[in-house]
Order: sequence, then structure tokens, then C-alpha cells
Amino acid sequence: MQIELRTQVIEPRRKTFTHVSNRYGDRPASRYEEGTIDLQGSEHFQYKPLWAPDKEIYSPDFSELKLADPYSYMDPRQYYYTPYVSARADLHEAFGATLSYLDKRGMFDRLPEAWHGVLQNIVLPLRHYEGAAQMISAAAARYGWGTSITQCFSYASFDRIGNAQMLSRAGISLGGGTADPLAVAKTAWIEDPTWQGLRKHVELTLAEQDWGKAIVALDVTDRVIYQLLYTHLDDVAIGSGAGSYSLIAQHFSTWFVDQRKWFDALYKAWAADPEHGAANVETLSAVVSQTLATVAEALAPVMTAVDGLVDAGAVDALAATVDQTRSAYAALGVATEVAS
Amino acid sequence: MTIAPKAPRKLSMKDRYSALTRDLDWEPSYVSKEQIYPLTTFEGITIHDWSKWEDPFRLTVDAYTKYQAEKDKRLYAVLDGFAQSQGHLSLTDASYLNAMKLFIQGIAPNEYNAHRNFAMLARHLEGGGPRFAALCQCLDEMRHAQTEIHTLSNYNKYYGGFHNFSQQHDRVWYLSVPKSFFEDALSAGPFEWLIAIGFSFEYLLTNLLFVPFMSGASFNGDLPTMTFGFSAQSDESRHMTLGLEAIKFLLEQDEKNVPIVQYWLDKWFWRGYRLLALVAQMLDYMLPREFMSWKEAFELYFEEQMMKGLFEDLAYYGIRPPLHVDKAIQEKEHVSHQAYWILYQFSHAAAFTTSVPTAQHMDWLEEQYPETFPTYRKLWEKEQRNIDNGGRHFIRGLPQLCQVCQIPMGFTEADDPFVQAQRESIFEGERYNFCSDGCQYIFEHEPVKFRRAWLPVHQIYQGNCGGPTLPDVLNWYGLEPGDGGEYLGSIDHQNWLKWHGDPAHVENDHAPAAAGAEGGQ
Repeated sequence: MQIELRTQVIEPRRKTFTHVSNRYGDRPASRYEEGTIDLQGSEHFQYKPLWAPDKEIYSPDFSELKLADPYSYMDPRQYYYTPYVSARADLHEAFGATLSYLDKRGMFDRLPEAWHGVLQNIVLPLRHYEGAAQMISAAAARYGWGTSITQCFSYASFDRIGNAQMLSRAGISLGGGTADPLAVAKTAWIEDPTWQGLRKHVELTLAEQDWGKAIVALDVTDRVIYQLLYTHLDDVAIGSGAGSYSLIAQHFSTWFVDQRKWFDALYKAWAADPEHGAANVETLSAVVSQTLATVAEALAPVMTAVDGLVDAGAVDALAATVDQTRSAYAALGVATEVAS
Repeated sequence: MTIAPKAPRKLSMKDRYSALTRDLDWEPSYVSKEQIYPLTTFEGITIHDWSKWEDPFRLTVDAYTKYQAEKDKRLYAVLDGFAQSQGHLSLTDASYLNAMKLFIQGIAPNEYNAHRNFAMLARHLEGGGPRFAALCQCLDEMRHAQTEIHTLSNYNKYYGGFHNFSQQHDRVWYLSVPKSFFEDALSAGPFEWLIAIGFSFEYLLTNLLFVPFMSGASFNGDLPTMTFGFSAQSDESRHMTLGLEAIKFLLEQDEKNVPIVQYWLDKWFWRGYRLLALVAQMLDYMLPREFMSWKEAFELYFEEQMMKGLFEDLAYYGIRPPLHVDKAIQEKEHVSHQAYWILYQFSHAAAFTTSVPTAQHMDWLEEQYPETFPTYRKLWEKEQRNIDNGGRHFIRGLPQLCQVCQIPMGFTEADDPFVQAQRESIFEGERYNFCSDGCQYIFEHEPVKFRRAWLPVHQIYQGNCGGPTLPDVLNWYGLEPGDGGEYLGSIDHQNWLKWHGDPAHVENDHAPAAAGAEGGQ
């Protein structure tokens, strides 16, 4: 039997907000669009910032990287708050399931000793790297121009503290419920010569006042680190009976795929900008070239340490990853010079 | 006897939380600490030991995302259901939405501003604990901005006044009140922000801001806003805890911080209180089904909870109640009436509508304000006689704005409702006007900052707002017909009657719809 539901039909006066329809016409808008477009104030700022009296509270001038219209860039994932936290709830739930499986089955104790060393000496110190990445991303979230861009960085900032927490939890499991491995890793990060190149690079990046240059330097470094630790070493681990390493690494490589989706789109927008494109490419090329050179040098002792633990060809993989990264930037429209 | 190997000591909850947050920090050695944290010294605040910050809640990223995702799922289910069933038709009256128009224009953009500036704290505070707490709030504030917009998005499809909230926040005269309030905080350093927004706004005044809107929603059939309010509550209680920890932390770190914090409290109490004049008039005049007067809310949420509870605790640190709090208490019988009278006369240039309160509503006001409302009632009854003679009035001139709060100078002396208050100060040869001692006090502490204020009336006179005539300015404001003016006979009102098919459905004894109605343009 068909039940006929009677509802009152009322023609809406408009389908969305004026600032959204000005851009796309009066069509139904997504929640991402309504929660993003023109959300940041853009004119008649009342007071000068006490911490930057030469600028406005929101300003495109906090970075050399600019878009004539910041909303020419939109997050391809269409993440507003709700889909973002839902996706991350899934990520962290999956990580938690992995960790409790590893704990329950005593997998950390069964890890070949060399791979135990990789986790302890190579992976855990990176929780400090992730902590710094949180701060560098937060600067972009505050000082960037336009909600479509800053929104991505605010979520990325939260992602990085989340990654640091995943690493820390893995470390606590590795220590059988204690924080000892974290303390060892922290000492290594601060004192071990292996890490000083990277730590110096991170501290210099934290001191960079141009949020755009800082975040690009971080991203270049991320590309190399994530490729080497969570993809290259993941493969090697599976091949050498260290499946537990892979179970941990997968969550980081999964996250990084997501990070690439919106960040690569931003590079394209920067490079293609009708007004600032050429200047953006110039800035990007300089930062990418310099960072690749720094990272190649800074990570060399780390990769040597990896090769000392496991037969991973990590030193060679570093060189290959730097080249790969260079090509990836070229494909995004950012050519770089090979440092001599 | 053999000694069993000692089992490793498991981490306590506190140590585990610390391992996941503050333990990530290290002392830099390749650059100076000042290069990494350049913003923590210029405000004069001294912090000796960031590790003394007590984490007010121990939330980790996995727990945060899980709870928040579950809450949002429930909230958006309500929004979808309400939209699908044309739930807006079961509001008490279309005029109720004026409260929500103010909300999306005045509050949502500032939730967004809070989102951006908590990102600043998540970058610049020197402790990993407070940075992470700030980062959680940074995300929460984005949640609030977006869920507010999504909650009100459905009303925007059927009613005026909502559609251009973002640009209007940057341009329209009465919205410069909340805009200048938040931009004052955005342009301050991280510690003043913590006291201005983290403490004064999110702790001291938060109940006075949110309870009127959210309870108003529940009394007037606005299920989505009420659900949003409930859903935001657990976030807000985290924000309150953070604000309270922030002020204690600053006060405990160094005695020299006390007078700095005291000035910020004096300033931000008064700034916030003046901003709340918009809430006061909403509560007393914009809700078709009223539930609590401004006076009652102020007594309960401020005088009882804050003056008696909080400030007695803060006295231990050498903090006294904010200056000018006595004026606010004196004004509680007047401020809503005076604020609505201002908005009533200027609503032809606003994105909400106003109307003379009904006789029944005035009876309610008289019960709430037996001492003072009779005076204001005479004003409304005179206006009603004007309307009956075809003369609903709007003020054609432009008002003098207070240099600090930017409200038109229509407030009276706190102790004499028949004398208009006006204060002035000369700074570098220029005269500046203020609505109150509180606003003048702030200007005299920070004249360089406040002389730069973007005052909408001055800007109109300087020719920066679309042109010399009223229609030019209203066009520049992005107002459409029906956004502002008189409610009776407005597009919203006419539609409401049409959709309900029966004019008697509207429970009021308003004057005939034709009486002097004037649309937004």
C-alpha cells in the first residue's frame, strides 16, 4: 500500500548565503562551502597588532607566498570540522586497534632486535619533530590569508600533535607501559650527533617568521622522512620478518597520503596564481632547493644509523628520495636547482 | 630466596598525558628561545616555570576526535530533520529570528576569530600543555563557527537578514561593536588574549552570552539552535576550565603580573559588558516567548556566580572585582531598554527588524522592571500613537559613536535615566567621545590603539561607505529589501502569515501590518 505523505512545499527565497552565491551562483551549496567561503574578515580592521604594528591583524603580507583570491584554492577533501574529526576518529581508532593487538600478542618483545633498535633510535625521536610540525602548522593557521587555506593548516596542526601522540603511545608500548623509551629517544634527539642536523634544521624552521616559507620547508622535509621511514622501511620490514614495524608505519603513510591531497593542490594554486604565480614559484624554488640540500645532509647520519641496524639500503634510498622529491615539485610547477 | 625482576612501573594517567603533550618540548640550542617564542615577553608578563601549568583536562587526540565526531553526528541529524520537515514553521513567530540574525552576524564571525587566534596561542605559548589546550580550543571554535552557520543556513533560505553576515560583520555600524571587541583582542599579545577571551569572555561572561540565546531558542521552537547549544556545552566547559587555569597560572607565576592582569580584567569586563548590551535587548525585546529578563540573568549569572563566587576566590591573589562593575549593576534596570530603543530607531539601516513591543509584552516587562519600565513604557506608547497616526519613526541622522565600544551614545548616566552620559578626552589635540566612564578609562590607558578605531559613522562621513546618501550606504552594506526596518508588514512577516494561511495564527496584538512599515531600503 502506498502511503501518500503530504508536506507543505515552500519555495526558498535563496539557496545559500550571498558571499557563496556571488562566487558560484544561487545554487545549493555544500556545508564545506558555507563553512569556509569568506569566513575570515577581510577589511576595515580596527587596530594594529601590538606584535606586528606594520601589518593588519589578518594580512596576506605575513608570507611571500600569496594568492590573489585565497578562495581560488579549496580543499579537495572538502574538510570542514565534522568530516575532519570523523576521519581522524577513524584513523586513531585503527591505530589504537593495531597497538592493542601488538600489546596483546607481545609483538614488541618478538620484534627482531635490530628492528626494535629502528623503532627506538630512529622512529621515536621523531615525536619531537612532529611536535615542532604542530607549531609550524599552527603559525600557518593563524597568519595565513583566507579560510580555505588556514583551515587546512589548523587541521594539519592537530594532525601533527596526533602523530606525535601515536608515536609516543608506540614508545610506551615498546617500554612495556613505561615512558623509558621516550626518555631515551629524547636524549638522542637532543644529544646524539645523529640527530643534530635535523634538530638544527627544525629549530631554524621554527624561527622562520614567514609562515609560508616555514611550512614549505617542513613539507619538503616531511616528504623525505615519510617516504624513507614509513614507506621504504616498511617494505624492508615486511621482507625481513618485522611485520610489527609495518603495522605501525601504515598509519603514518596513510595519514601522509591525505596530507598530500590538499597540500599538493595548494602548490598548484600558488604556482598558477594569475597575479603572484611567478613570484610564488621563485620563492618556492628557493625554499625547496635549500631545504632539499639541508635535508640530504641532515638525514645522512640518520640513514647511516638505519643501515647499521638493518640491511635497508637507507643511505641510497635517501639520495633517491631527494631526487624523487625534486621531480615531484617539478611536476607541480616548481623547478629546483640541484645544489652543487 | 630469589628476587623476582621488578615489573616495570606503569605510567600514571598524569605522566602518560604529560608524555603525550608537554614532554615533546626541548630546549633549543641552535637558535635562541626568543627566536622560537618571540611573543611571550613584550606584554610585561613574567613566567618563571611553564611546567607549573596544570593541565585542566587530559584529553588526547584520539579521545577528542571520537567524542566530537559522535556529537556532530547527532547534531547534524537534528539539523537535517528540521530542514526536511519545514521545522521553521513551528517557531513562535518569524520575528524570533531577529535574535538569530544577530547571532550569525555578531557571534559566528567571532567564533571564527577565536579559532584563528587560539592557533596563535597553539604556536606561541612556551609550554606544551597550554599549547595543546589552546589547539583543542582552536578546533572547537571552528566547530562553533561552522555549526552555527550550518544551523542557521536553513533559515537563511526562507528569511531575510542572514544572507550576507560575513561582509556585514566587516561593514555595518552595529556589527562594529562585536567586531571591534574581538579585533581588540586579536591585536593584543597572547597573554592579554588569554585574559580577554580565555578568561573574561569564556568564563566571566559566557553564561550571560550563551544562556539567553540558547534558552531563547528552546522557548521559541528553535530546535536546531537549542541542539547546537547543548552540543557546544561540553566544549564550553573545557574553555571555562582553560580560562580559569590561565588566570591562576599568570597570577601565581609572579607578583608583578597582578597589576597587569588587573587592568586587563577591568578592561575586558567593561568591553564584554558593553558588548552584552546587544544580548540584553535581544533577551528583553526580541523573543516572542520571553523566559527571563536581562536583569534576572545578570543577577544570577554575574552578581551571584561571579561577584560572590569567583571574585572572592581571586581576592587571594590580590585581585579585586573589575572597576566600573558598580555602574553595570546600577544599569541593569535600564540597559536593555535603552539599547533596544537605539536599535529600534536605526533598524532601517540594519539586517534585522524591530517593532513596538506588544501590550502583553510590555506587561511582562513591567513585571520584570517595576521600578523603571513604566518610564520606558510611556516612550513606547507615544511611539504607538505616532504609528497609529501613520508615523513610525526612524532616525535619519547619524549618531555619535563611543570611541571604544562603538555603540551609539544613547546610554544615560547609570544613576539617572534622564541624563544622557557623555565623556570626552583630548589626545594629541583631538577630541574623543565615550558613552561611559568604563570606555573612557580604557581609551586613556591605550589611546594610540583606540584612536585608530574604524568608526562606521565617521567612515560614512568620510565617504568610505559607498556614497553620500542612505541608499548608497545600505547598498554598500549589502542589504536587500526586507532585511531591516519595521517587522510588521516586512517580507518575513508577510510570508509568515501566508505560510500559516491564517493570520490569527500569529499570537500577538500588533498594530495593523501597514502601519509605517519600511523595508531595508
